[in-house]
Amino acid sequence: MDSRSSSEAHRSPLALVALLLLACSLAGCARVRPDERALLADPAMTFGGEGTPGAHEAHVLSNREAAFGGAEARGGGCGCN
Amino acid sequence: MQLNRATLVALCLMSLPAWASAQDRAELDTTVTLFRESGGPLEMTVITPSVDIAAAAGEHVEVRGGWEADIVSGASVAIVDAPGEVDAVTSATRLDDLRHTARFGMTFLGQRTDLTVAYQYGHESDYRSHSFDLNARAELAERNTVFSVGYARGFDRVCDLRQESLAAPERQRLPGSGGCFAGADDRIARDLELHTLRGAWSQIWSPILVTQLGASAQVLNGFQVNPYRSVWLGNAAAQEHHPDNRARYAADLGARIYLRRLDAILQPSVRVHRDTWDIRSITGKLSYVQLVGERGRFQVTGRYYQQTSATFFSDDYGLRPRGQYFTGDRELSAMRSYLASGGFEYQALGEDLEGERALQTLQLVARGGFLFSRFPDYRYGTAEVPNGRSFFVTLQVDMHF
Repeated sequence: MDSRSSSEAHRSPLALVALLLLACSLAGCARVRPDERALLADPAMTFGGEGTPGAHEAHVLSNREAAFGGAEARGGGCGCN
Repeated sequence: MQLNRATLVALCLMSLPAWASAQDRAELDTTVTLFRESGGPLEMTVITPSVDIAAAAGEHVEVRGGWEADIVSGASVAIVDAPGEVDAVTSATRLDDLRHTARFGMTFLGQRTDLTVAYQYGHESDYRSHSFDLNARAELAERNTVFSVGYARGFDRVCDLRQESLAAPERQRLPGSGGCFAGADDRIARDLELHTLRGAWSQIWSPILVTQLGASAQVLNGFQVNPYRSVWLGNAAAQEHHPDNRARYAADLGARIYLRRLDAILQPSVRVHRDTWDIRSITGKLSYVQLVGERGRFQVTGRYYQQTSATFFSDDYGLRPRGQYFTGDRELSAMRSYLASGGFEYQALGEDLEGERALQTLQLVARGGFLFSRFPDYRYGTAEVPNGRSFFVTLQVDMHF
């Protein structure tokens, strides 16, 4: 691998880190006061707010796709294959 | 027979009476899901009832426990690509299985942070699993920013024939679960260990916009085969043989957008995944939640999923072998799936009602969906996959005290 392709290989993760740091900096500028959060309190505005029905749907899909998982350390079982 | 008894159990669980104490906050959630996949001689029915209880033990501790079961009944292909003039799909064999899962967790609540520890145990006639989960969460910048990080460790044991001294092409599939974890001389328990690390950054950008960026990594080491499935290798059938090691990486980005004029919420998300078996996938999902009055809401969801095949996948190992590994798992081939689902929630009893009572809120949820899966490179001999269509229905009763 020559020096130019080596630098290109390192550029991609560095660019990603820089982008994340920029995003975090911008996040510091976002200020929503508690009195403005009425809409944000709705369960549909939260991640994971689908509760048990959402977990059951995820369970169905996890037995039907190779790329599912990674959110929990539960290997298998169910016998659903 | 087992399925009829299971249906009765599920219906009884759905009608559990409220009994938790009214002194502290508590929640009782009973949910049941029916999943059905069928086509040609192949079919799979799974009923999943679950009960979860959570209670606040003082101001800084929350305790939760739960139980879930998978009641499985169906017919699947035992020898993939079996030769003969008869359609290979007709070699389907019946299976019935029951899996119980018990879970327990505690959350320690601070002003801006919380820490959750959890444990789950899974029990099947041919499978045992233990998993431990640790998750930490911190709110920063006046609660506009949330970081979470978690680690989970799993210890699974899978029943198999005692045949580890045989070469992979000579191993036979497990004929049944009889003798598993019972000390039978011809049965052995194979280990599977899992490490999972995940992190997420949630950000409130405005009163109507929240985003979340997440990433996860998982390492699996051990037996990752369906012991009941074998593959025709050209001159004999052998139990499928997968690598012992697999590392998976995923990243996801989602948003929650409140549409003021419609009084609705839009939920777009995208997820990408890659693993060391060279399976790469992308998932796109869009949900629309419409609020209906003070107590109701309905939701519609569309989801698209696409993946490439594992590096060792072949549709015909007799003609096109792919090294030392071989699989009959259609979910390790290239595939696409389309999910369309919808549901309705209704709060039958709300906190706005006056008067003292133990039951503060009662919410009813009904959801259902259709899943269409396509396997362009996977066949049972010359037969296309007949059971790529499935549906599911979920009913939930959620009570707060």
